[in-house]
Parts: sequence; C-alpha cells; structure tokens
Amino acid sequence: MNKVVVPIGPQHPLLKEPMSFLISLEGEQVVDSVLRLGYVHRGIEKLAQQRTYIQNVYLIERICGICSHIHTTTYCQAVETLLGLEVPKRGLYIRTLLCELERIHSHLLWLGVLSKNIGLDTIFMYAWRDREIVLNLMEEISGGRVSHAVNVIGGVRVDLDAMHIATLQNGLAELNDRVEELTRSIEHDRSFAARTRGIGKLTLEDVKRFCVVGPVARASGLNIDLRRDAPYGAYRDFEMEVPIMDQGDVWARSMVRMYETVQAIRLSRRIVEALPEGAVSVKAPRKVPQGEIVSRAEAPRGEVFYYVRSDGTQVPARLKVRTPTLTNLITLSKQLKDVQMADVSSVIAGVDLCIACADR
Amino acid sequence: MNVLQAMFQIFIFPGFVFLFVSALFFHWLDRKLIARFQGRIGPPWYQPLADFLKLFAKEDVLPQGTNLLFASLLPLVSFASVLTASFYLPVAVLTAPSFQGDLIVVLFLLSMPSLLYFLAGWITGGVYSILGGIRSLLQYFSYEIPFLLAVSGTAIASGSWSLADIRAAQLSSGAYIIPQWFGFLLAVSGLIGKLKREPYDIPKAQSEMVAGPLTEFSGKKLGLWYLTNHLQTVVGLAFLVNVYFAGYWEMNTLGGFIICYLLLILLQCLLSAISAIYARLRIDQLISLNWRVLIPLTLLHNLFLLLK
Repeated sequence: MNKVVVPIGPQHPLLKEPMSFLISLEGEQVVDSVLRLGYVHRGIEKLAQQRTYIQNVYLIERICGICSHIHTTTYCQAVETLLGLEVPKRGLYIRTLLCELERIHSHLLWLGVLSKNIGLDTIFMYAWRDREIVLNLMEEISGGRVSHAVNVIGGVRVDLDAMHIATLQNGLAELNDRVEELTRSIEHDRSFAARTRGIGKLTLEDVKRFCVVGPVARASGLNIDLRRDAPYGAYRDFEMEVPIMDQGDVWARSMVRMYETVQAIRLSRRIVEALPEGAVSVKAPRKVPQGEIVSRAEAPRGEVFYYVRSDGTQVPARLKVRTPTLTNLITLSKQLKDVQMADVSSVIAGVDLCIACADR
Repeated sequence: MNVLQAMFQIFIFPGFVFLFVSALFFHWLDRKLIARFQGRIGPPWYQPLADFLKLFAKEDVLPQGTNLLFASLLPLVSFASVLTASFYLPVAVLTAPSFQGDLIVVLFLLSMPSLLYFLAGWITGGVYSILGGIRSLLQYFSYEIPFLLAVSGTAIASGSWSLADIRAAQLSSGAYIIPQWFGFLLAVSGLIGKLKREPYDIPKAQSEMVAGPLTEFSGKKLGLWYLTNHLQTVVGLAFLVNVYFAGYWEMNTLGGFIICYLLLILLQCLLSAISAIYARLRIDQLISLNWRVLIPLTLLHNLFLLLK
C-alpha cells in the first residue's frame, strides 16, 4: 500500500495551538511523523533583556495562557533570591494557593481536550463546566481568569479577606465533589479505556532517556515532583504524596492527572485553612546585584526552569526559560510510531502540549 | 381520490414538506437532548432551519479539478434515495404501497447514501476526504451485515419479505420488539452506523479527519448532505418502527399517528443517549466488534428464530 502523508496542523481541529505534524500512514498505521514548531515564537527571552525586572513580570505572564502564574512565580523566586529578599509567609501562601488553583484549571482543561479528541464530548462538557468554578475563584482573588498578575517581586499584589476565604472554601468543596465524580467516571468507563489504554507507551527507560518531566514521567513510574523533592513557597510547610502509575500509557497519564487534581484541591483547602497573618509583600529595590541564578518550579505539565543573569543594572543580562512541554514534546515521535491514525489524537492530547510555552 | 388530494398527500402532508419538517425537528431534538445530557442548554427550535438556510445562501466552492456534475449529482441522488425509501414506510404515506421484497428495496435505498458518501470523498480528492471515504467504506462492510441479518429476523418470523405483511403479522401476533428485542438492539447498532453517529462517527471524526468525505464540500451541496442525514434519521427510525413496533400509523387514525410519532421520539432519545455516553470507536475496534461479536450473535439469533 502506498504511503499517505496526512498533515495535522498548523491549523487543525485536533490542535488548539499552531503546531505541525506530518503523519505518514500505511493504511491506518502511522509509520513516520515529522514535527515542526515555532508558529507562535514571540522572542520573549530577547524582549526580556530589554525590559526592567519589574516590567518582565508582566511580559513573562504572557508566555503561556494556561499556566501563566507558575512562570511569574519561578521568575520572581529567582529575582527575589538574587536580591536576598525574604517574602512574608502570607505572600508565599497566596502565591502557592494560586499555583494549585492553576493546576486544577490546567488539568481540567486537559481532560476536556483529551475527551474531545477521542470523541467523548460529554466528559469534555462536564470537565469544562467544572473548570468554570476554579476560574471564577481565580477571578475572585485576582480579577483575571487566565492572566492573574498576582505575583510581584517581593510577594503578591493581592490579599485575601474573610469573604474571599469563605468563597474559596465553598468553591473548593463543590469542586472536590465534581472532580471526584469525574475521576470515578473515567476510571470505570470502558469506552474511555478502549481509546487510551496501551497507547503512547513510554517505559521508565524511555522517560529517563528523554528527560521527561511532570505527569507524563510520573505515569511511567518515575517518582519526581519538585513540590516534594525541592520544595519552594508554601510547599515547605506541607507534606504531600505524589501519585505514581507505572503503565506509561495515555490512560495512566489521565489517572495521574486526575489524582493530582484531587490532591491539588485538598492542598488548596489546607493552604486556605493555614493562611498565616501578616503582610503579603515587601518592597523590592529596582537594581539587582550582579550574579546568576537558576530557579525551578513544578508547573501543571512538569518542571519549569528559569535561568537569570544580572549585571547589576535594572535590566537582566540574560533570561533563559525551559518549559516542560519542550522536553515532553521530543517523545512524540517515539510515541507516534506504529499507532493507529485514530490514536494520534489521544497520543498528542496525552502529552498535554502547551505550544505557546514551548515556542515562547 | 382526485388529483389535487393526491398532490397534497405527496407534496404537503404526509409527503415532502412534512418529512422535511420532521427531519429538522428530529435533528433539533437530537441536539437538544445531547445538550441536556451534557449539562448545556442546547439550541432553540429554529436552529436546524437557520443552519439549513445559511448553508443554502453560502457560496458553493469545490477544489479545482473536481468533476462538478458528479459533485452535484451525489448529494442529489443520495437525497432522492432516502426520499424514495420513505414512500415505502408509513412515515410519508398514509397507505404504503407494498410488494414482496420491498424490505430489501428499502434497505438498499437506505444504504445508498453511505456508498455515495464514499464517492463524495473520492472525487473531491483531499487527503482527509479520501481517508474518510475509505474509512466509511470499511465501516459500511461491518455494520451493514449485522443490520441486514437482524432485520431479516422479522422476515423470518412473519414468513414474508414485504413490509406490509410484517406489519400485518405483528398486528395479529403482537409487536416483534418483545420476542426479538435482541435483534432490535443489533438493528439500532446498525442504524447508528448508517447515520454515522457517535460512537460510529469514524469517517468524519473531527479530531482526525476534519470532516471526512465532506471536508471539501460547502454551500448548497453540504446543506443537502446534511439534510439527507437528518432525513435518513427519521426514515431509519420509521423503518424500525415498522418492522419492530407494528407501524401503528397504518391504522390511519389520529391515535395511530400519535403513537407512531411518540415511538419515533422515544427511539431518537435512545440514539441521543448512546451518542452522549460512548467515546468514538477506533476503526479496528469497530470491525472486530461487528465481525467477531455482532455477526455471530445475529446468526445465532436467526437460527433460534428459524428453529422455533
């Protein structure tokens, strides 16, 4: 049978962001795939070298639409350490609370995308309906559903009052029920399992070889999570267990993400309960002393890595960002080998790509 | 019956216009039900009509090199074949004309759109269209056989290949839905395949094939393809009502009409619920489900009917 090349992207109903796959098919079998990135490259690293540290917080927030808060968190952590600032505990707690809310939002969004891709529209609608709750909570706290602009160098911009805390507690309690129900239903749904089990398999060796991070690595049995291994922010004060699966397929990734969502809700509730009193931020000087630093954080998709070098002025000399999507992306060409055409959609969704992050 | 009355019956009620309205109504019902199952509000009642009018007002473009005559004929022929099938069923005529073997004719006419659907993908020539077309053909050979076998169970029970005889046999012995409920379920599975609904919407799977064979179609032709599908839903359901629920409309009364229509709505609810519950099957899963499970089961079912 002749080879057929099916173009997926840069514009395709399967992809929410522009990226290109050229899938070579023999019958329904994928024999080769070519990936192409760069359709949303905005040169953010270069732009960051032309702006002051404070302006950069708002620039970096725009790297990603889904995990905007984790980028600013990682960046602020780096600059605060360079400055030697001690962020007040309340500020750290609020920052971490938003990280967890963002994780819930990101994982629910992802569940919707995967379900849509395998033709299970009902779960898609349910997941995105429940995602509204967490979006509303984030809007309540920060004024923005997607871009929060909560982080500033030296702490956070917003403070929580008694009313915020009551809304958060109610919202999180409701969300907990909804997410547990969603988890139960996809755990036992045979048609969901038929389209995700055994697909896009990555063994533990593959994961180590490709340096995969985040839920994709945890679904293959690699026990890594920066929130526990190298705690930052309020994670230092909380014990947490990391959900691990070892099947390494799309189904395991789904389950890892769902358990993580449940856990993130639980953690958010604990953070809200344990919120310490005090100020939320300290004033930061404009000039950053000479030095270089690496900052890491656990984004919804895995480890985010920031490198900042300062030459003693108001403007960073170099800012390097490495996002989890970029490392996980490389495994796609392996995962896409010898799957059926119909599974391409669930493999691509299973990695949870964030193209805007990867392209920057 | 004078000419005017006959014309009225063919074109207005219960003919073309009534069928057209029913097709749009059932499409609306389907969308509304699925929306409610998914926790959404769903479209207003005039949405299918608005969609239809919009498509008919749109510019009609096809890729260069497509055979225009063929591309226009395909949706027309498939529309015509579904319309023709409707005239053997109690949904479009008060007293359906019947002869030995019209069961086979209706089954043939109802499967025409699937074949033409494949051709539509083939002649427009985009990569999604061709792959979608091949998939629809593969799918055709899997669902059509259990459908035929399941429906032939009713012919076995009544001893006749005529729709009118099957109806009449049920009026005396009770509807076949009770003794042949299993065959009915298999026939519903086949009908879902015919209508290319979820979970059998493999040829037009949006996340892989964009819109399958219809990817390159637009404007009036696309509108006609969609209308064919909506009409096929009503006619297919009416066919099931005829062979499994005794086709109550044959009684020619208001009561019979209402019962028939309620049955159609009930069956539509069943289809919508199935669409909302299941994820799309993969083509190899569909083929192995049909050939390894459903076909042996239908054969056993028919064997049981023959021995009884």
